[in-house]
Amino acid sequence: MRSRPRSAFLLPAVVLTVYMVYSLGPVLWIALSSIKGRQDLFTLPPRLIFTPDFAGYQAVFGVGAARDSAAAIGLSQALVNSIVVSVAGTLLATVLGTLAGYAASRFRFPGRDDFMFFALSTRMIPPTAVLVFYHVMYSRVGLSDTVGGLVLVTTFINLGLATWIMKGFFDGVPVEVEAIARINGYSRFWAFRRLVLPMVRGGIAATAGFCFIFAWNEYSFASILATTKANTLPVRLSSAMGATGIEWTQIFAAGMVLIVPVVVFFYLIRRHLLMGMTFGVLGKGGT
Amino acid sequence: MARDPGLPPRRLPRELSDRMLCGLFVLPTLGVLLVMVAYPFLSLLYYSTLSFSLLRPGQAPRAMGFGNYTMLLTDPALWERFVFTGKFVVLTVTVQMLLGILIAYFLQRDFRGRDIVFTLFMLPMMLCPIVVGFLWRYMFNSEWGIINVMMAAAGLGKLDWLGIADNALVAVVIADAWMWTPFVILLATAAFRGIPVNIREAARIDGASPAFVFFRVTLPLSAPILAIALLLRLIDAFKQYDLFFAMTGGGPGNETMTVSFELGKIAFRYFYTGLASALAVLMLVIIVGLAMVFVRRLTLAAEER
Repeated sequence: MRSRPRSAFLLPAVVLTVYMVYSLGPVLWIALSSIKGRQDLFTLPPRLIFTPDFAGYQAVFGVGAARDSAAAIGLSQALVNSIVVSVAGTLLATVLGTLAGYAASRFRFPGRDDFMFFALSTRMIPPTAVLVFYHVMYSRVGLSDTVGGLVLVTTFINLGLATWIMKGFFDGVPVEVEAIARINGYSRFWAFRRLVLPMVRGGIAATAGFCFIFAWNEYSFASILATTKANTLPVRLSSAMGATGIEWTQIFAAGMVLIVPVVVFFYLIRRHLLMGMTFGVLGKGGT
Repeated sequence: MARDPGLPPRRLPRELSDRMLCGLFVLPTLGVLLVMVAYPFLSLLYYSTLSFSLLRPGQAPRAMGFGNYTMLLTDPALWERFVFTGKFVVLTVTVQMLLGILIAYFLQRDFRGRDIVFTLFMLPMMLCPIVVGFLWRYMFNSEWGIINVMMAAAGLGKLDWLGIADNALVAVVIADAWMWTPFVILLATAAFRGIPVNIREAARIDGASPAFVFFRVTLPLSAPILAIALLLRLIDAFKQYDLFFAMTGGGPGNETMTVSFELGKIAFRYFYTGLASALAVLMLVIIVGLAMVFVRRLTLAAEER
């Protein structure tokens, strides 16, 4: 390793530190504020040392004094719904998007560019614009307020994103990978599964991560399409906002609780997330 | 290319043709997208020519022709919404793309605790958007918000962040960039890591400066992913709703009202369903038009390489 001038380390260190303050300061602040009592929330100057008050969390979990809180999630049906909808929606969007992204990257099928553009344009539609029609459509086919209906809409909102991101990653894999496999007598599907997919697993992990975030936090569609039986955590928690003014501690506590599954999900996929692509098969890279 | 003796000989006699494989791969996605878009979009087009409200299903819709569109297009207030939305989109996306690429670049170097730092940097994106809005509203409070307290301590004086339109724009950009820079960091890092190390090594051994390697090797090779990140961020910023809802409520006055926010108001507060459909169509035409230009340039750039 060559030695480098000191400044080559100084600049990145300074930039990363400044960004860390910007990025993590508010995270720290929401964590602190979620355990502040009403009187400690609005003091001047803001207190760093205070007696923790877990009323917000009690309300979120519906225990103690806040047993009957409207926003309580506890181990409610909403928690189950949220998990089912996000996991199924993420899985479907990632699998379908990976397949479609591969096809769009490798095959010149008629209307390919139109298909890709169409896939992207589905993400451009503001939820408010199509909600009215989903509402009508869902009640006609009996999908209103069902977990299945929400899984469908969750898959849909992420499918365009998944297809595009995966196409980008497949574009980065040289076509020679499949060519060599086929010369050696393997099918294209075998090459796709055994050679190409492992190369883009960082991309698949990133895609699944994004899909899960969007699915888990999705509010607009769920709030209209799944109002009672199939409601999800964000919908349930939204009742903490507005009814009796802004319940700051409840909102912050809810934010802290809701982030946990996403962090767990990222922890589970972490090994794949930043896996560099290896072009060892070819001994060369790029397209 | 010669047969590579490293790979064992084929085992499967049966093989799917490329055409079948392609169909099997594309059709499920196409099916889901068609079902979820075709019907709503056609209804949207139809409704946009009517005057009616979802709240009064009994009342017969009145045909308007292009009446809803002329009403919208001749409303100067709506143009202000578009201009404001445009300002917001350009500002926030510029900040998060530059910052995201910069941070991803610096995170390439191996240092102790890098993976932990990287994971922590992803946190803002994981929070529930509406909670993020309330968090920043809390921190931007002009009296006891932590940001003004720190600014006062630094001798910069307090700012009325959310009460003045220009400040509110900056405040929402700070919040939006805070939340979504991680998206760019993640995609840029994945793209940078996808570049084979030996290409950069070769350039370095040839005596190229780090800046040269970055601008001539790293950036062009990761361009497909970065362009997709840019496109997705543009689209999502254009639709941004939660932050404005929680932070400014469109105020002061209507000065931080985005098109998306306006649409929500017309559709679900006033229930002018016909008018809302027309605005939704307008929004789609604009964003689809812009995206088409962008994607065409992207495709051309990709074919040139």
